Amino acid sequence: MYEFNFQRPANSDAAIDAQANAEDGQYMAGGQTIIPVLKQRLAMPSDVIDLGAIEDLSGITIADGTVTIGAMTTHTDVATSGDVLGAIPALADLASMIGDPHVRNRGTIGGSIANNDPAADYPAAVLGLGATVHTNQRTIIADEFFTDLFETALDEGELITNVAFPVPDQAAYMKFPNPASRYAIAGVFVSRTGADVRVAVTGAATCVFRAAEMERALAGNFNPDAIEGIGVDGTDFNNDLHASAEYRTHLVSVMAKRAVAKALG
Amino acid sequence: MSKVKIRDSVRRIEDLRFLTGTGNYIDDVVIGGEVVGVVVRSPYAHAKINGFDATDAEALDGVLAVITGAEWAAQNFGPIPTNSAVKENRDGTPISVPDRPCLASERVRYVGEAVAFVVAETLAIARQAVELVDVDYDPLPAVTHPVKALEPGAPQLHDAIEGNLCVDWELGDKDGTEKAFAAADRIITLELHNNRVTGAPIEPRGAVAYYDDASGTYTIYQSSQNIHANRNQMATILGIDKDNIHHVAPDVGGGFGAKNSVYPEPVITLYATKKVGRPVKWVNDRAESFLSDTHGRSQYSTVEMAVMNDGTFKGLRTTTIGEMGAYCGTVGAFTPTGGSARTQGGPYAFEAMYYSAKAGFTNTAPLDPYRGAGRPEGSFQIERIVELAARELDMDPVELRRKNLIPKDALPLVTSMGLDVDCGDFPTVFEKTLAMTDRAGYEARAAASQAQGKCRGFAIAPYLECTGGMPKEHAVISFDDDGSVSLAIGSHSTGMGHETSLPQILAAQLGIDIERIKFTQADTDATPLGGGHGGSRGMEMGGNAVLQTAGEVIEKGKAIAAHHFECSVDDVEFDDGAYIQPGSNNTMTMDNAINAAQDHSTLPDDLAPGCLDTGSTFERGIISIPNGCHAAEAEVDPETGAVQITGFWVVDDFGTIVNPMLADGQVMGGIGQGLGQALLEQAIYDEESGQLVTGSLIDYALPRAEDMPPMRLDYYEDSPTKKTPLGAKGAGEAGCCGAPPAIVNAVLDALKGHGVTHIEMPLTPEMVWQAVRDA
Ligand SMILES: Cc1cc2nc3c(=O)[nH]c(=O)nc-3n(C[C@H](O)[C@H](O)[C@H](O)COP(=O)(O)OP(=O)(O)OC[C@H]3O[C@@H](n4cnc5c(N)ncnc54)[C@H](O)[C@@H]3O)c2cc1C
Repeated sequence: MYEFNFQRPANSDAAIDAQANAEDGQYMAGGQTIIPVLKQRLAMPSDVIDLGAIEDLSGITIADGTVTIGAMTTHTDVATSGDVLGAIPALADLASMIGDPHVRNRGTIGGSIANNDPAADYPAAVLGLGATVHTNQRTIIADEFFTDLFETALDEGELITNVAFPVPDQAAYMKFPNPASRYAIAGVFVSRTGADVRVAVTGAATCVFRAAEMERALAGNFNPDAIEGIGVDGTDFNNDLHASAEYRTHLVSVMAKRAVAKALG
Repeated sequence: MSKVKIRDSVRRIEDLRFLTGTGNYIDDVVIGGEVVGVVVRSPYAHAKINGFDATDAEALDGVLAVITGAEWAAQNFGPIPTNSAVKENRDGTPISVPDRPCLASERVRYVGEAVAFVVAETLAIARQAVELVDVDYDPLPAVTHPVKALEPGAPQLHDAIEGNLCVDWELGDKDGTEKAFAAADRIITLELHNNRVTGAPIEPRGAVAYYDDASGTYTIYQSSQNIHANRNQMATILGIDKDNIHHVAPDVGGGFGAKNSVYPEPVITLYATKKVGRPVKWVNDRAESFLSDTHGRSQYSTVEMAVMNDGTFKGLRTTTIGEMGAYCGTVGAFTPTGGSARTQGGPYAFEAMYYSAKAGFTNTAPLDPYRGAGRPEGSFQIERIVELAARELDMDPVELRRKNLIPKDALPLVTSMGLDVDCGDFPTVFEKTLAMTDRAGYEARAAASQAQGKCRGFAIAPYLECTGGMPKEHAVISFDDDGSVSLAIGSHSTGMGHETSLPQILAAQLGIDIERIKFTQADTDATPLGGGHGGSRGMEMGGNAVLQTAGEVIEKGKAIAAHHFECSVDDVEFDDGAYIQPGSNNTMTMDNAINAAQDHSTLPDDLAPGCLDTGSTFERGIISIPNGCHAAEAEVDPETGAVQITGFWVVDDFGTIVNPMLADGQVMGGIGQGLGQALLEQAIYDEESGQLVTGSLIDYALPRAEDMPPMRLDYYEDSPTKKTPLGAKGAGEAGCCGAPPAIVNAVLDALKGHGVTHIEMPLTPEMVWQAVRDA
């Protein structure tokens, strides 16, 4: 680690101020990404601003068919929340598959989507459920939030406050884990709300994306058979030590079919 | 207070410390006033070094010294020694051993090779200074593949060594094997790769050292599994008397072979502490552990088996290309040669066997023993070729194995590889294993898998092992006035539980409470010699040393009892914790004899207090032959290639079992490591850049609890070896011998219907999926 100033503001305004006044201030949520990066001397922020003391950034509320999850809510809290399990069990299921118990007890939804790791699980749920990201400045719809590899629509210093998930009729997540890291090699989140179907794919490409052709096919017939033979174009998929682009392309199809079957129960 | 016996599952005494976070690992060792050492490592796989500029690093506040390769070279220290049991090529010429300095000054040959060492007041300053050390490199072409390294035109690593060849070696009955092949109905041939892996101990390597000016002696604590040998080797390198180094290992968090060798860093730490006049602590981080620990396995082999149409095995021929890495490790050329040759053919009868191997240098971290060091490679070769033979002969693989196992009455025998197999009962061990596996329920389980679109497979894999490591071990037993008994030993637990099992032997022999025993290991002041940990030698060597020394204590105590009984020493016997005089009512418990031994008034005139204190060296004759049988059931998802091992059964013949619970731990750990090699692990170097691609736990896949199958373990105990008094055969490496072939063959059995006959390890989901698709 390089040296940095450590700040632990008590509320969001103080955090935003601290970030604005720092030469190069970075928020820290659960620290599950930022701390390893600092330890490997891959980042050199002037200030680390710990969001851990800001109470109103965490918690789960449910109202008017929407589950709202505070940015600082841990994966464990989402995985075990009665509200989430009742309204969107697929979301709790996804959270329970992230990392290991230590990681789930520290890692947060805000940190995960702000980081936008191409193999992370949450981006699939945010996009696959058509969620809305609330920040201190505005609201950003899922389709506009994840922009590129480790890139989001967030501006410098913009703070995620919560993520609002509309409750679908049916949804499920299937993840094929990387044997080493257990992040997703290919993860597919499907949801159906009325005639509206979303299929979001993580792990396979540089950024989470929607499989439009599958969505169209499933909108007419929400059944695994409907996407038999409908694949995704994997030309630009990740091709690495753990999986070839070809294998990822294949896995997306398999995971999508299995996710639909799972959503149907 | 409790009495224990041999074969009791005494609970691990050390676990209270480990589980409550009060273990004393290398980073916990505090001398007082220490400064921190960090290694500057080569970013290149192969490069010429033009020079060093440490000016900026030295100018940093808090930096005490920057020791460069150039400074090291000027000291004229010796190279890192290597001691291969195989010293000659097949033509009688000596094998090629390059010089390896602790710090490279002219040329680097692998990514992570040490080129300089920074000493600073804090870790943060030291790491910052490391970035400021300027090393001027001219990159050279690199070769990281062991087969390509031996091809003409490959980049050359060492000027004095032609063609990168370290060793070209053979063993066995070449003519007899050719005859067997000529007379056979069929030759079954398989090319296979034993994947390169790394031990990845949970605690990285590290050391803390200080120098005492007044006495001219060094003290070094190191996370090592081999402190006596390391001490001697470090002394040789530095050109000092070994008695001037006091070497201790505190609690060690795993070794698996990776903490066996003498490495550059602890030697540099010794030099650095004297230079800066402060204690110096160096501890690798995880990334450095991947780069600089010795790796293991890495063999490309062609296995050929001569067999009759009725399934009778006739001959076996194995041709291997092994890998040294950039330099020779501590046992150097031995692993791919002698280490892999000895147990060729496993527990099967062959008319003749022949093994030949070459091994060369590559621009990668040096390879050295890794749990099993050659025997798992041999076991994998034989079990894979037998499985393939069953397919080609269209025979039941269980039947084919049963037919060819060496029968009990054929023992003792010496194999074509010169292995002295004294005892055991391979057919009984095989049948006992098979009986545990619930063959009757298999069809129903297979049908249930099929209903879910999955395939189920089964395989059984008997294995033949042998022990190794240093053939001597020393134990010291001493008695203190406070009633405690001290046991010191030169063998070494890096987590296996010797702190429990060795006192268990002593307590059982003397009939004293185990809680009285204070245990010391891995301290050059505590025992004059010690063989550490390696070659499954812990119980075979350490256990026998304790047994022998305890026997000497008992003999000495007879004089005390005789004095008490007022009889002749010859009339005293020892039985169940007490001295007796047969034909009289005289008895004296060991506890009373120990107390009497501390007091002049209760001793005969020719004995003085402390007279029971005893140290003795046990020396092994011939290595023992652990053996056993593994069986696995696998479920494969052919659509994704995912593999789950759903059942695992083992029967081991480890001779005398001192503590079944600890033996179980060794077997389970070995299965875990074997499963890791079979399904997950592979150290990969980029062939262009020579970078280690799997340099972190994000990319190097270690097995996790969820990957482990339910396991059922049992022992065959009717055949303790007579090679040593305790009768124990080694247990530590056996799991790694049986698990990979059992797992791989079970997966291949599951994919039989898909026409898949071979997949290279590790059987990752993608490899399995591709094999299904391409079959
Ligand atoms: C061993 C391990 C295994 C893991 N496995 C998985 C896995 O299987 N699947 C998976 O999806 N993830 C996995 N993760 C990642 C983990 O789940 C976390 O979600 C992730 O590290 C980020 O969350 P965090 O709260 O720790 O964020 P931090 O590390 O604290 O922050 C990450 C980034 O987000 C920014 N940030 C944090 N909060 C906010 C906010 N409210 N507004 C704006 N910016 C913010 C920070 O500035 C930083 O740049 C794993 C991590 C580890 C260490």
